Amino acid sequence: MTEILFKAINTPNLTSIDVYEQTLDGYQSLKKAFEKKPEEMVELVKASGLRGRGGAGFPTGLKWSFLAKDVFPRYLACNADESEPGTCKDRELIMKNPHLLIEGMILCSYACQIETGYLYMRGEFWEYEELMDKAIDDAYAKGYLGKNIMGTGFNLDLYTHMGAGAYICGEESALLTSLEGYRGEPRLKPPFPAVEGLYGKPTIVNNVETLCAIPFITRNGPEAYSAIGTEKSKGTKLVSVSGHVNKPGNYEIPLGTPTIDLIEKYAGGIRNGNKLKAFIPGGSSVPMLPASKADTPYDYESLMEAGTMLGSGALIVIDDTANVVTEALGLAHFYMHESCGKCTPCREGTRWMYQILTDINNKQGKPEQVELLSDICDNMSFKCFCPLGDAAVAPVISSIKYFPEDYEELIGSMKTAQPVGTP
Amino acid sequence: MNTATQTDTVTLTIDGKTVTVPKGTMVVDAAKTVDIEIPVFCYHEKLGPFGCCRMCLIEVEKMPKMITACTLAAGEGMVVKTTTEKVEKAQKGVLEFTLLNHPLDCPVCDKGGECPLQDNTFKFGPPDTRMEYNRFNREKATPLSPVITIDRERCIACQRCTRYSDIIEKDQALVMRNRGFQNRVSTFKDQPYDTRFSGNVIDICPVGALTNTDFRFTARTWDLTNTNTLCGHCACNCNMTLGTRLNEMKRVTTRPNDLVDDGWICDKARWGYDFTKSKNRITQPRKQGQSVGIQEACTEVAASLQKIVEAHGPSSVGFIGSGYGLNEDLYSYQKLFRTNLGTNNIDHKTYTDTPGLPVAHFDLLDVETSDLVVLIASDPTEELPILDLRLKKAMTRKGVQMIVLNDQQTLMDKYASLSLRYNVGSDGVLLAGLNTALQGQSAESDLESTTGVSSNQLQAVAEKIKSAGKVCVIYNPVALTGSSIHTLKQCLATAGGLAETTVGAMPAAPVTNSVGAMDMGVLPDVYPGGLALTDGDAIKAKWGDTAPLEKGLSALEMIEKAKSGELKALIVYRSNPVVDFPSGHEVGEALKKLDLLVVHDMMETETAKLAQIVLPSNGPGFDEGTTTNIGGRVQLRTKGLTTDNPADWKIVSMIAKELGQETAPKDVHAVTAEIAEKVTGYQEIKRSAIRKQGKNREAVASANGASASDGTHTGSGLILRVADVLFSHDKILDAESNLAHQFQPSTVHLHTSDAEQFGVKEGDEVRVTGNGHEVKAEVRISNRCNPGGLVLPKVSDEQGVMSLAEAGKAVSWVTIRK
Repeated sequence: MTEILFKAINTPNLTSIDVYEQTLDGYQSLKKAFEKKPEEMVELVKASGLRGRGGAGFPTGLKWSFLAKDVFPRYLACNADESEPGTCKDRELIMKNPHLLIEGMILCSYACQIETGYLYMRGEFWEYEELMDKAIDDAYAKGYLGKNIMGTGFNLDLYTHMGAGAYICGEESALLTSLEGYRGEPRLKPPFPAVEGLYGKPTIVNNVETLCAIPFITRNGPEAYSAIGTEKSKGTKLVSVSGHVNKPGNYEIPLGTPTIDLIEKYAGGIRNGNKLKAFIPGGSSVPMLPASKADTPYDYESLMEAGTMLGSGALIVIDDTANVVTEALGLAHFYMHESCGKCTPCREGTRWMYQILTDINNKQGKPEQVELLSDICDNMSFKCFCPLGDAAVAPVISSIKYFPEDYEELIGSMKTAQPVGTP
Repeated sequence: MNTATQTDTVTLTIDGKTVTVPKGTMVVDAAKTVDIEIPVFCYHEKLGPFGCCRMCLIEVEKMPKMITACTLAAGEGMVVKTTTEKVEKAQKGVLEFTLLNHPLDCPVCDKGGECPLQDNTFKFGPPDTRMEYNRFNREKATPLSPVITIDRERCIACQRCTRYSDIIEKDQALVMRNRGFQNRVSTFKDQPYDTRFSGNVIDICPVGALTNTDFRFTARTWDLTNTNTLCGHCACNCNMTLGTRLNEMKRVTTRPNDLVDDGWICDKARWGYDFTKSKNRITQPRKQGQSVGIQEACTEVAASLQKIVEAHGPSSVGFIGSGYGLNEDLYSYQKLFRTNLGTNNIDHKTYTDTPGLPVAHFDLLDVETSDLVVLIASDPTEELPILDLRLKKAMTRKGVQMIVLNDQQTLMDKYASLSLRYNVGSDGVLLAGLNTALQGQSAESDLESTTGVSSNQLQAVAEKIKSAGKVCVIYNPVALTGSSIHTLKQCLATAGGLAETTVGAMPAAPVTNSVGAMDMGVLPDVYPGGLALTDGDAIKAKWGDTAPLEKGLSALEMIEKAKSGELKALIVYRSNPVVDFPSGHEVGEALKKLDLLVVHDMMETETAKLAQIVLPSNGPGFDEGTTTNIGGRVQLRTKGLTTDNPADWKIVSMIAKELGQETAPKDVHAVTAEIAEKVTGYQEIKRSAIRKQGKNREAVASANGASASDGTHTGSGLILRVADVLFSHDKILDAESNLAHQFQPSTVHLHTSDAEQFGVKEGDEVRVTGNGHEVKAEVRISNRCNPGGLVLPKVSDEQGVMSLAEAGKAVSWVTIRK
């Protein structure tokens, strides 16, 4: 089993800087990095093939190289607003191994010539703010942060910032807007954050898991990292397996592992000996797939080819006791609740879908409502301001596509339609 | 240096039509130039791209997804399609979403008939909705302020209003709260949204969510008669539309003119027109308190004036006008006094100023194309609100820098890169110091002790002026003391002589037609068009052989001479000396000594009460003619309301006829034409040329005043600084005004050290005394001015602050008593 991110993760007191240094050669990668020029560090990450673990899977090194040339100051914003339903990997990294993240942030900052970094954590992570602040203080005390780090002349200050509990703030431009103290709403792109980000300055926004992979790459070289995984999906991935499995949890797998292995071998198989019915491979924002596609290798390309996405790496497993309409309804409620309300299709569409799905789920739907749902999805797809709208559509449209019989079952047993209370 | 014209263009095709537009133009605007309409809700040209309503989705070749036309800058060779099946489906889809929870109460909605949501639905929308659920119910009518009512059910969350508050007003007073379908336009803690510019959100709201409380449910928009006119309050002369029905004022809306108002008006323009219905209007001519016919009144005025002139000579009669008159009215009055009565006893102000500038007269657009604005003694926020918005735009979005020189703190300070506060009353010394610095010499040694500003700081100002490419100097002559205006003009002349710098200026006196009054020669020593008395030949050629050449009395001198009995008759036009002149409390006694006092005004005033003859002036809404704004732009003010009373210029013409004038202009256009003929600088001001956006008159020649020094000021106590307040409780904004909630209590602003000396603390009720008068006020220890001065905002007529000021003195000393 290859462990890069979760190596020794359950070591007692790993959150202490001394234990981290002893157990994992903590902060030793800095020396290696400082021997290189910042540009060489960017090339190194490019060569590793590391891709952003937040959801979009954009090559990390390439993102770093897009920073507007010669514009300073630049900022790093680490995205720890982990809010995607089913996703809980960043939380485990932060709560168990905060120094790995700090080390990653230092390396990224050095490579991108950044002197100020922010860790934007979702509001619900309030328990870990203190932990993270302590870890940052300890890193300052040991000279890994602050002025003239390890005598190199490189300065870096890190700050934690707590969100107020909005899913939309995980979208990078909304995260920056929120970090600036404004209402968390996505901004127009372009300009992209690498050109005009936080306070209008070039900014790198990276996910926690992405940054946590940098120390390994720096220490062991890009080849050691790219040796793992498939041709285009390099390295390991943390997958949060949830739903109807016996052992839900976070598992680190080499990319390319068959999805069925994740369910059967890592997560201990389906609960109560039931059969797999469907799975959502990459968090609530990606289309679900039926059991027949369970052997799809868990990597960016294969999942894309199968008509879905790897997303944030949250595998939600649904067994054959469930009706997918109920699952879609749950997610529709989530998106209705989390839509920021900025753009019309998402604000209105998410609520309308929720109203219709509630009817159907309560056996009060009409046959034509399935078609209406599909059309609402079409009117939202790629027409919203940010990807949240597209994400809201994904579970609904895929449930209609793969499981029309679940809808028919509920509508077939329709009772006399009653007006339904709306939220 | 900013370049005003952009030469770079791009060419693209929209629905097969080729369009060439300046680089940076959004596709939605490019389409407009070839009459292709791409529907929008959230996009507003002045607010820039936002992209939240999704109404303007279009297809562009080589782009995989549909894109919003309001966020896409036109690119070279771009092929845009706005009528494909995909686009039409998207438009129908977005409109269905937009209307999903909209109440569709168009039959009773104020926006009905001029509603973009209504219009877009007719043109682009689905015929029906598929929504089967109850619509989301919200509050129907909530006061956002005493003058704005919000109907949250109709709101489509386009965020135009909140972005206006953020981008244009720079307040962030109005924000979106909550999220998703529960988001709502609101303020922090639901405080009232009562800024100086709040009403503009009503005009930009694309639905009937933000409504004008005063107009709400009083008329359908298609029943209104809309008149394109100008605001008659401050000297910006913003363009506006007066909506009337059955000859009654219903509402005021914006009429964008980028050269003047940039598309906005202030709340005083929008809600400060109650005076058109006020019971305090003068609607009937009066003689000794009895109503008389207008002809009888005019005959009486003429006969009395003639008798007095025959008995005591022309210098025994005088005219005090004001910047509230139109060019035509003011021109007619000065002509009456000069050619029919033979006197130069003509004035319109109590401060020192001369027409003309030694540098170019910049207009409001120059503010944003300059590199540096130097704001002197001016408080645009209270005096000229639209200039306030223009300055904020220039500072925050156009990269212009600003230096503020003022004796009091203003809201403009935070936008300035350098803000210097000089001691109250020390402006003459400060400006002399600045002139010295601009000439590259070192300042007088007592500069800092007199002004509170060091010579190094003035050197820094001079350096900034010298290193900027284009400099716009904005100054308020009313707030300069003594004869410092001459020193300021010397500064301008020096700066104008700098090799590398283009310098222009804007005289920013707050009253509506202050610039026009100067141009029209409502001055004791200058004929219209800046024609000086020394130029006798030119005066005779234009105004006839009998035109008087000796200097007349200034307004303050006329009051003085009335008191001493040398002045026998006075016509006071649109002015209220009893309240607005320094030593106002003594003016009344002086006026009572006159044989004849004629007051020609719109509202009943303290001065009108003393008059033997009162003539009605129609005023904004009812009158027609031209005004000249602070930028030198002459525009047409037309009437939206009718009255039986003759126009002001017509009344003057009737008096002139009685005095033997044989010719009379047949209508107001004839007067405008006569101005074009007689007033230097106004040659091109023809009705046809100014109808739409107005036209800049040519700045009159500089009359460079002689160097003057007011000496050092000695006295005891504190030096008084009267500050203007936009929403002052006066004759125009009376107790019944829609804006009464904006009235402020009488306050006096002190420096901490002076407060200690006088033993007063924040909130104390005190009496400010001086010049044999006292004003009650509440203490604010705000450090608004330097120690040694105090600021008294003029919050109402009743407060009587002008009586504290001593007539004819550069500065006035006051003390504080508990």
